[in-house]
Amino acid sequence: MNDPGCDKTVLIVEDDADTSDAIAEVLEDGNYRPMRAPNGAAALDELRAAERAPCIILLDMMMPVMDGREFRAQQREDPSLRGIPVVVLSAHADAASYAAQMDAEGYLRKPIDLRALLETVERFCARDG
Amino acid sequence: MQNGKMQEHLQPLLASAELRAVADTIKDYAIFLLDSEGIVLTWNTGAQRIKGYAPGDIIGQSFTRLYSDEDRAARRPQHHLEVAAREGRIEVEGWRVRKDGSRFWADVVISPIHGEDGEVQGFVKVTRDLTERRRIEEQLRQSEERIRLMIESVKDYAIFLLDPQGRVANWNPGAERMKGYAPEEIIGQHFSRFYPPEDSNSGKPARELEIAASTGHFEEEAWRIRKDGSRFWASVVLSAVRNPAGELIGFTKVTRDMTERKRIAEELAERTRQQLAVSQLGLHALQTPEVPVLIEAAIRIAQETLKVEDVRLLGPGEAPPPMARTVPIHAPENGAHPHAVLAALSQQPLTANEMSFLEAVANVVAAAIARARIEERLRLAERRTVEERGRTEQAEAALRERDEFISVAAHELRTPLTALQLKLQGLERGLAAADPRKVQRLEGAVRQTERLSRLIDRLLDVSRIAQGRLELWPEEFDLAVLIREVADDFREPAAQARAPLELQLPEKAEGSWDRLRIEQVLVNVLSNAVKYGAGKPVSVKLGVEEERVRLAVSDQGIGIPAEDVSRIFARFQRAASIHNYGGLGLGLYITRHIVEAHRGTIAVASTVGEGSTFSIDLPRFSLTPAASRNKVRGARA
Repeated sequence: MNDPGCDKTVLIVEDDADTSDAIAEVLEDGNYRPMRAPNGAAALDELRAAERAPCIILLDMMMPVMDGREFRAQQREDPSLRGIPVVVLSAHADAASYAAQMDAEGYLRKPIDLRALLETVERFCARDG
Repeated sequence: MQNGKMQEHLQPLLASAELRAVADTIKDYAIFLLDSEGIVLTWNTGAQRIKGYAPGDIIGQSFTRLYSDEDRAARRPQHHLEVAAREGRIEVEGWRVRKDGSRFWADVVISPIHGEDGEVQGFVKVTRDLTERRRIEEQLRQSEERIRLMIESVKDYAIFLLDPQGRVANWNPGAERMKGYAPEEIIGQHFSRFYPPEDSNSGKPARELEIAASTGHFEEEAWRIRKDGSRFWASVVLSAVRNPAGELIGFTKVTRDMTERKRIAEELAERTRQQLAVSQLGLHALQTPEVPVLIEAAIRIAQETLKVEDVRLLGPGEAPPPMARTVPIHAPENGAHPHAVLAALSQQPLTANEMSFLEAVANVVAAAIARARIEERLRLAERRTVEERGRTEQAEAALRERDEFISVAAHELRTPLTALQLKLQGLERGLAAADPRKVQRLEGAVRQTERLSRLIDRLLDVSRIAQGRLELWPEEFDLAVLIREVADDFREPAAQARAPLELQLPEKAEGSWDRLRIEQVLVNVLSNAVKYGAGKPVSVKLGVEEERVRLAVSDQGIGIPAEDVSRIFARFQRAASIHNYGGLGLGLYITRHIVEAHRGTIAVASTVGEGSTFSIDLPRFSLTPAASRNKVRGARA
């Protein structure tokens, strides 16, 4: 978890390009390193191809190809990916229960409050060394 | 002596051994010779057997002793000899007397024996005992007499004889009574006059005699005619009478008047026919829901059964034609007034049976009308039910569609809003130190996106409530603390609306509730109070009891009209005018559902122009805290 290689990297798994762009923009403004994947399957590919594991995965729930729930299940089965913390992004009022069911580290309700986003990201990146 | 002379003359006859032997062998006849004076000269075995005298007892005696005293007194023996001498033969039947004095019925033949000179020299007398035959004949006579008396006493049957040609040979009182003829009027007349003209003209009487003659018997039931020309229904049995030689000597005819019986049988048949017709009509009524079709059938069946000229159904006002026999059709709901009248047109008056048949037909029609009315009402009721169900279903479908639309629309709106909000916030952050005016405008844009976001949240809550998917995540917290926090957030807008919040809170008010949802409730009632508070202070009081907490938020604003109080907790309802006060009218609806999901109550007391008090009553520990909630609290936006 305290792999020095995480280096403020954040993986955004989000199918809506505008939302993904907006999150990436504010994270870049905050000097984080956003990686992007449009769905769970692409995210798994991205993670396995990446040189270093991200500090946190911001995971949307409803996505085509592979949704958040399936991604989380496969991530947890993969020992090399298992340790990366996940924060669920959901517009749903039951975001909290989703997060609990998926054993996520937390959740961010959409529309995402910038301050809450930055605080959360910072919390997980700060663990890094 | 003449006697001796005759005896002499008869000697050869008497001496004839052959003759004697023949006479002796005859046992059933008494055969003996008398001289011309009637003295017994010979006596055979038969004579001894029949009369009881031995030859020695009677030979030489006068034959008169064989007669009864009366016959002797009347000189009948002498007379018989005289007749036999004169006529050459006499045969008589009569009583004779045996030796023992008993009588027997005898058939006696006396024949004279003439001498050469032609003079009567003696007599041969042959006597047969007919007592047995006579007894039988007497029995027969008596039995015939009895039959005659019997036949004459029979009044209900005409019993008479016809000769072989069919002429009436005798006539009993029953025949007289039945047919009206006295014996002297009818005996010798041909029996064909008892037949109706059409039958007698067609040769029916002769045919019937032929059948009786050839088969011995003829039987029929048919019309016959009385002397006065009236008809009666007769049961007739004609039997051939033959003598022992088999020759036809006539016919017996036994006739019975079956008119009454036939009338009863016909009436019975008619009643049966009528009842059958009514039951057929009843069956028809069960199978035919259409009243006009049934009425048509009723008219046809009534006409066919009654065989009247016409049967009609008359309306309530219609006058029946003359000669019509009518029965009313009493359908229900018409009270004492008949629905219609069934009229049978007939030249002849209808019998009681026919009238009761007509009434039965009318009853079937009435029952069918009643049934049709009930079915009609049933159909109407069913149709109404179906229509109502349809309307309800339509309304429910419309509501479902609206809820689904709200849900989808809210989610769809939220996606771009997420991006928009982040971008605006990012811009705001980046411009912070640069241009204050631009920052202010950006802040405005951010506020609008936040407001948009809250509206979307409410829409989502409504759709969740409508779909019964409002879930609570209870946790233990202090409500007094939460109220203070929310009130802090409201300080600025309250100040702007000049409706400052006045808190009266206990030290502690702990319980298990869904913190976010209760926060939502507080925001809602406080924003309402500030919004409608008309610039006067808003009081927020919290009371704590062992089991429950009571929150009262009172404003001194415009108030809610009594007629609106009941509906302010409904969806999309606002008491106030939409022009002065914006919003979707969802706040109190959501509030109520959150409170009720916590097993609490919310109520409002309001006076127009004086203000409103919203009272929320919540049980403190009715919900079990959800452990998982705490875990994710920190990341909550």
